[in-house]
Amino acid sequence: MSDDAAAKIAARLTEVWHISRPTVLERINLLHSSCDRLSHNPDDTEARTEGFEAAHKLSGVLGVFGMPLGSEIASGIEFMLKSDRPLSPGDLSTLRHQIADLDAVIASKADR
Amino acid sequence: MSRRVLIIDDEEDIREVAALSLETVAGWDVLVAGSGAAGILKARESHPDAILLDVMMPGMDGPTTFRELRSLPETAHIPVILLTAKVQAADQKRFSDLGVVKVMFKPFDPLVLAQEIAATLGWQEI
Repeated sequence: MSDDAAAKIAARLTEVWHISRPTVLERINLLHSSCDRLSHNPDDTEARTEGFEAAHKLSGVLGVFGMPLGSEIASGIEFMLKSDRPLSPGDLSTLRHQIADLDAVIASKADR
Repeated sequence: MSRRVLIIDDEEDIREVAALSLETVAGWDVLVAGSGAAGILKARESHPDAILLDVMMPGMDGPTTFRELRSLPETAHIPVILLTAKVQAADQKRFSDLGVVKVMFKPFDPLVLAQEIAATLGWQEI
């Protein structure tokens, strides 16, 4: 691949990231909301499904924009929410920390 | 040799980055569709050389779309690669068992996606 092609892809990736960022933030807000609802009711299957779907999408997209750590964290959230196992208080605490880590990854990208 | 690849994914940013990668790195013609139903229509109209198919989509998901493509005489022969965010081993086996050429994972590297597809399909031109 030529240097020109690599530069063209890098430039366009930056543009697409700026367009996609609001959707990414919306999905992270959805994760916060799901976590809050699950804290009140760990059996809230709708909250769990919404959180799972948001995490799955984030897992697929963040690494494309140069945030592999974000994809890894989102993947961990996705697997936790997909499991049939009831969420314990410890799981919810982990979930909250993971979402905060995602916030930090996005903030770090936004600063660059 | 110019190839034509159809990308079916409900995520606009993924469609755009994947298309950019395949066009810029490999010089392939790229068609895109935002849903399984739209992708089937486009595949029937344009007869792509390969299809890159997302798994989790609203409405018709990837596996359902794949089965529909396989049931239609004009699309049954088109190689399909599933593209999904990382999944657990059981899901990976379930997807592989569908009969797709390969299950590839997001996030992908836009600089090497085309090479990975070409290697999977035995396309030598890159």
